[in-house]
Amino acid sequence: MRLPRFYAKKRGHRRTGSREWGVVGDGVFHATLLLAGLCFGGLLVSGVAAPEWRINHEFRETTGTILAKGLAKTTMADPPATVITHWRPCLLVRYSANGVVHESWSQGPTATTTSDREVALRRLAGWTLGDETVCWYDPEAPKTVVLQRGYNWWLWLLSLLLPGALVLIGGTGLVRALRAWGKSEEHRAASAGITELLDPLAQPTLAAPGYPAVPACDDLVNSPGTVLRYRLPIESPESWTLVGFGLFALLWNAVVVVLAVGAGLDLLGGRIDWWLFALLVPFVGVGIAGVTLFIRSLVFATAVGPTQLEISDHPLLPGGRYDVFLAQGGTGTFQTLTLSLELEEQATFRQGTDTRTEQLVVWNQPVAAFHDVGAAPHSRFETRAIVDLPADAMHSFTSAHNAVRWRLVVRGSPERWPEFCRTFPVVVFPRGFASPESASPPAVVRVRTASEEVSP
Amino acid sequence: MTSALDREPSKPRIELQFDRPHRQHEPRDQLAVRYRIEGCDGEHIRAIEHSVLWYTEGKGEEDLGVHFFQRITDRTMMPPTAITGAFSTPLPQSPLSYEGVIVKVRWCVRVRLFFDGSRDFVSEHVFDVGQIPPARMPVARA
Amino acid sequence: MPTMVSNPFSTRYTRPGSIAPLDAAGRPVDVGALLDRLQRLGGTAAIVGPHGSGKSTLLTHLAAALEQHGRRAPRVRLHSYADAPMVWMAIRQAGPDDTICIDSWECTGWLVGGLLRMVARATGRRLLVTSHRAVGFPVLARCTTTPVLLHSIVESLPNHGVWFGSLIRVADIREAFANHGGNLRESLYELYDRFEAVTSPIQGLSGDGPVDRTGHAGPRSIIHEHADGFSYRGAPERNLG
Repeated sequence: MRLPRFYAKKRGHRRTGSREWGVVGDGVFHATLLLAGLCFGGLLVSGVAAPEWRINHEFRETTGTILAKGLAKTTMADPPATVITHWRPCLLVRYSANGVVHESWSQGPTATTTSDREVALRRLAGWTLGDETVCWYDPEAPKTVVLQRGYNWWLWLLSLLLPGALVLIGGTGLVRALRAWGKSEEHRAASAGITELLDPLAQPTLAAPGYPAVPACDDLVNSPGTVLRYRLPIESPESWTLVGFGLFALLWNAVVVVLAVGAGLDLLGGRIDWWLFALLVPFVGVGIAGVTLFIRSLVFATAVGPTQLEISDHPLLPGGRYDVFLAQGGTGTFQTLTLSLELEEQATFRQGTDTRTEQLVVWNQPVAAFHDVGAAPHSRFETRAIVDLPADAMHSFTSAHNAVRWRLVVRGSPERWPEFCRTFPVVVFPRGFASPESASPPAVVRVRTASEEVSP
Repeated sequence: MTSALDREPSKPRIELQFDRPHRQHEPRDQLAVRYRIEGCDGEHIRAIEHSVLWYTEGKGEEDLGVHFFQRITDRTMMPPTAITGAFSTPLPQSPLSYEGVIVKVRWCVRVRLFFDGSRDFVSEHVFDVGQIPPARMPVARA
Repeated sequence: MPTMVSNPFSTRYTRPGSIAPLDAAGRPVDVGALLDRLQRLGGTAAIVGPHGSGKSTLLTHLAAALEQHGRRAPRVRLHSYADAPMVWMAIRQAGPDDTICIDSWECTGWLVGGLLRMVARATGRRLLVTSHRAVGFPVLARCTTTPVLLHSIVESLPNHGVWFGSLIRVADIREAFANHGGNLRESLYELYDRFEAVTSPIQGLSGDGPVDRTGHAGPRSIIHEHADGFSYRGAPERNLG
């Protein structure tokens, strides 16, 4: 078997890294992640989740007598110079298993372990010596007995979350690498479907059939309108901003709560961890800011309300005339509300760690403009307008690093709130487009970066 | 960039003609070109490549899409002195030529000559597809 | 009427490899002297400099020079941490006389980068990297930028004699350099914008081309052609296999 060369001989003296070895490296990297996820997950499942499952499904029930109470002590070194001690309440139980009488110290769930001895003692206070209690023993090791069952869902989540993420990232990357191995760029581009699902950013945008470099508009015509034929999806950062702020506030404050509870328990136990308190101050500050930003975004989204835009036909053609229906919700008054058609160019350049993306609106046509628009609760402002596309308009264009995009833009200035801008992408086809069935297939069509031309 | 040669390398020239005036084409037109190679000074051409492609130019990475590609290695078609060639292909419906501000889309014909000793020479000739006017100065920065 | 040209500041003409490496004074870099210095440093070194100072350009030409001297110089371009395995593969595949040229070494991170460097040292592989700081490598060259350097780069762009002085002037170059604190890449982007602003059509009628400062519109189809070069400058690279 001839191994691929590491370097690819290019035109003239320049050489760059071999694609084949790049794919191998990518595959090895993701295989390592996958393996780490499987190993880590396996360890967690076998060490935590599996024992818990066995306790709940395989342990046999019996009745035992509490003979004694005790605290199982575990010490751990806590650099630089301290030692942490953990206490687990346990009970000496006499019980019968398979006709044999055993006396064993119970195995408590991990959740009962605490670093506070007094707390551990208080947990023992609920049990009385001499009482009879239900217990469960391991039929394979009858000396193992527990007094409590149930699931610690937190541990299950932890067991699956991190290893699951590693397996997912590693697995998808490995599948992608394997699918890319030995294939030309053209073959890879033709292999649509799961590859694009796994990593859509790594693949060129899907082109409309018969129209190279014109983006497909399937996603823009799969939502019927209530007044006109199609409802256009919104491409706006607002919703993502709201989700982003919400997720950040949730996760960050979850961490803050955990830290605060820990600090509070230490304080109650008479132990003050100054490092923890010092860490809490900025954490709480950021947490409050996150919640504030989220609430502000939520109120803004509620006050401004949703924007709905429908169009009479899609995709658009140069020289075409289209009805649009605009509906704007919200409360209060909008000082201005405008609808315009724009043409935007986007260019991306990558050099080393720098990725530079520039966007520029090169053409703008006002479609409709309104002033002092009042919106009331449970109703919305509605209007219709006409959009005329110039006869010599450039069609929508997309390639790996460059794009020419058309969009309808709604801008508003609500009272007491900042201006908002909501964009609705549309696709313009070249003149002559009738239907996908009537488009003639091109001789050879490929979309690649400049570093690769087609090899015969 | 090129391998050392024992003698002064030749300086080829490729004169290429389009079948349309002003190199103006429309989508789905038949693109036909003729070319003439001169100045090879007896140097042997081992292969010729014809390609019709579009590329982007501007402030982003250069992307390209090859619409037509043909490689000729038949020695009987490559005499040592002057050579003429021709090829044609139907043009696709997109993309059209576009003179944007930060993104431009251009169509071109390339003829690449491969000489013995890994030396090559390429000639690129731009033509237009469609009649999209140049983009104006930006009205707003996104 | 002057011949209209395509924007010479397009990335096609300004990306690394398209422009010859120049020093801070705008003179061509003595690549041979740098190769001698690299030899004295043991074959492993770094080209350091801030963003947009020409590190990648210099690396490209040093790699080419190494190959002209009969040595292999495989190149690895890093864009993110995920590209680090490519460095590992490059080290594994490199021969004893190879110099692995790595663009943007800092993408490997201090831990992985340190490990990779240890492996390279242990296996006797040479690394020539670009980085924004020394990162533990001996410094082969420090790229710094000056207005003179930018001016020299602009001089090397296509059809300089046609558009310089009329469409782009010395003041444009000086202002672009000052506006971006010496970042050559950003300066060239600004000059791109200035060129477009000057040549943008006034009327934009179908068939009219760009106009120059005097208001004359040229035919739209006159575009710079590379009809006379060997693997013309800025040509997309192609693997013949």
